[in-house]
Amino acid sequence: VPNPRKPERSVVTTCAYCGVGCGFKAETIDGRIVRMIPWKEGKANHGHSCVKGRFAFDYYDHPDRVKTPMIRARIDQPWREVGWDEAFAHAASELKRIQATYGTGSVGAVSSSRCTNEEIFLMQKFARVALRNNNIDNCSRICHSPTQFGLHATLGAGAASQHFDSILQADVILVVGANPTEGHPVFGSMLKRRVREGAQLLVVDPRRTETVESPHCRAAVHLALRPGTNVAVLNSLAHVLVHERLYDEPFVRARCHWHEFEQWMQLVGDARYSPEVVGPDAGLEPEAIRRAARIYAKGPNSTIYYGLGVTEHSQGSTGVMCLGNLALACGMLGREGVGVNPLRGQGNVQGGSCLGSWPHMLTGYRFVTDDAVRATFEAEWRLQLDPEPGLRLPNMFDAAVAGTFKGIYIQGEDPVQSDPNMAHITAAMRAMECVIVQDLFLNETAKFAHVFLPGSSSLEKNGTFTNAERRVSMVRKVVEPLAGLEDWQITMRLVQAMGYPLHYDHPSQILDEVARLSPAYQGMSFDLIERIGSAQWPCNTKDAPEGTEVLHRTQFPRGRANFMLTEYVPTTERTDDRFPLLLTTGRILSQYNVGTQTRRTGNVAWYGEDVLDVHPDDARARGIADGDRVSITSRYGVTELRARLSEKMNQGVVYTTFHFVQSKANAITSDLSDWATNCPEYKVTAVEVAKVPAKVDAPQRLPAEAKS
Amino acid sequence: VSRADSGTGGGARPVIEIERLVAMANQIGDFFAPYPAGPREEGVRNHLRNYWDPRMRDALLAHIRAGGAGLHAHVVAGALLLGDKAREVRAYAGPPKG
Repeated sequence: VPNPRKPERSVVTTCAYCGVGCGFKAETIDGRIVRMIPWKEGKANHGHSCVKGRFAFDYYDHPDRVKTPMIRARIDQPWREVGWDEAFAHAASELKRIQATYGTGSVGAVSSSRCTNEEIFLMQKFARVALRNNNIDNCSRICHSPTQFGLHATLGAGAASQHFDSILQADVILVVGANPTEGHPVFGSMLKRRVREGAQLLVVDPRRTETVESPHCRAAVHLALRPGTNVAVLNSLAHVLVHERLYDEPFVRARCHWHEFEQWMQLVGDARYSPEVVGPDAGLEPEAIRRAARIYAKGPNSTIYYGLGVTEHSQGSTGVMCLGNLALACGMLGREGVGVNPLRGQGNVQGGSCLGSWPHMLTGYRFVTDDAVRATFEAEWRLQLDPEPGLRLPNMFDAAVAGTFKGIYIQGEDPVQSDPNMAHITAAMRAMECVIVQDLFLNETAKFAHVFLPGSSSLEKNGTFTNAERRVSMVRKVVEPLAGLEDWQITMRLVQAMGYPLHYDHPSQILDEVARLSPAYQGMSFDLIERIGSAQWPCNTKDAPEGTEVLHRTQFPRGRANFMLTEYVPTTERTDDRFPLLLTTGRILSQYNVGTQTRRTGNVAWYGEDVLDVHPDDARARGIADGDRVSITSRYGVTELRARLSEKMNQGVVYTTFHFVQSKANAITSDLSDWATNCPEYKVTAVEVAKVPAKVDAPQRLPAEAKS
Repeated sequence: VSRADSGTGGGARPVIEIERLVAMANQIGDFFAPYPAGPREEGVRNHLRNYWDPRMRDALLAHIRAGGAGLHAHVVAGALLLGDKAREVRAYAGPPKG
């Protein structure tokens, strides 16, 4: 075996896949990236990595990459390659024409969590200064927007309370609706390490995932609840705390509002949330709920980690509040080893949330309806800002279908594949007069686009990412952008073409602007991160010059924390005789989300297609054998997958991943969404599964009468 | 910023189909339902004020003026509180204070 060639260059950068944000050394030979070596000094990963960050990087120079801007008048026409100047001029004139015809609020933008903090900040600035409205959203709308809402409501800060290393001081680890060993593998390994050292693991998840049981790691209690019953089960845990007086009264009296706590005790303490009532409805043993509650309350250090299994429900925000309430009631905040921590999906989804890419919030989670906050931005940007909240991403699509929203600028997102109820999304896309897509590849959404702006991968740009523990790390340019421009340059040029004077020579100037405008990022700068490697916000020159690992140590952002009342309201998505099974979705270790990147790498050798996991009893009742092709029909559509018999779910629940375009999992998901944020209810869809004799054209829209 | 063009304006079509807005508003109402009367309606109002595009609020209020079919009573009451600009609560994310 020949020795590996010595690299010519080695550049330390941050992985863009999941919210762990591992540090890597990207090594090049002859100007091509040849390997990614996990970086020992990376504070999120300490030299560890997973099979995505380590191996799935060669999508960056895949032949599918688009390297020239393109435009077309109608989506049934072929693309015409143009220069950058013509593309910007055309896009700007179309947006202006639409606004002149249909109103200021008829266009909007969505930013990508695959892009840097600086690029996301610039996207929201684009909407506010060039479109002159607040129709700006980010992709956490469809994953963790309930986190921001629910944690803001209870704790006062919509982000993880801890740093990852904090788990090494936890005695009890409660994982809810997340599968870190596959979704956030490097953190998952740290979790397992702590369990092997003796911490007790509690898992609330409809599936027996690898997190529940793997070599030398087994959950003390696994609550395999029926999808959609999160809030009832979490309230039932609270019920046990209240009735057995397991709560931390001194903490609540010192750090919360006692009258709110009493109000909350009255709600969750009601008989309707007793384990004996909730258990049968959720498919759980009442005693298991009691045991889990006692273990969590006993601690002494109990910590909560959760994922999209909590947020992607019609009560997603309520579910997050339940977790905030639980931690407050047991005094599990404000020190190492405790806390409430969302496991963020994408590399920079925390940044997407922090950087003001919201229709109702500016940077640092401050409302656009706050006159004082808005005034600081107006002074810096030298114009008046819209004082009203704008449309959220799902609202934009609804408005497009209603005929009142006509143009959108989409940065690094593929809503046609990733957003729910595909038929609704494609109808919205067809109804728009100007769709601008900025991406590496001609994705599914580009089929409905009029302007295509070829973007750059995270290996081709400078900037920063903020990971799930609020850690801001450097993204460094390893190779030149294949299409010539970094994404921040593309957005800057479009803002200029719209007529607003704005110029940056380097993304560090954008981070400086963020720091000037945002208390939480006040001390952040490229210089600081170059010097100390990374820093967690809040970071300010006065009392946290190198950032903050643990939040809420002595007080909460609003002083005291709030208990929210979390009544269980079952989703309207119900099973019945025609749709007797519940479909839930997730992802696996080797592939990533809609797969735009990982499908274009050797990782397909490990997982080449999505399959539908079906319980053997459900399969037997339908004459389905392992490997059969099956149709999956919901009230919204139908698609087709290969079945795999699996006992990881309880009977009545089926499961699939959504990594491949062909599977069209979102042809069947509903358009129900979280009450507070419109985060889609991806995790619960009533379906029926049937064996199909031969391949049909999947997916297809059901005739209207079938929906009734 | 001119928002002269942002309202639903005398009989123009709503920014989003009204059935959708009614369903969303009722979901908000379901969340605030366990709060006592007073805070319950204020919770609905605060949410609509700080999270809904004004065109969505206008369309909902127009629907209420036309009878408010399908809306929970406390959602109607909460939405109507939006008219009292002197008592509006902006930039607030916690529980209704009552």
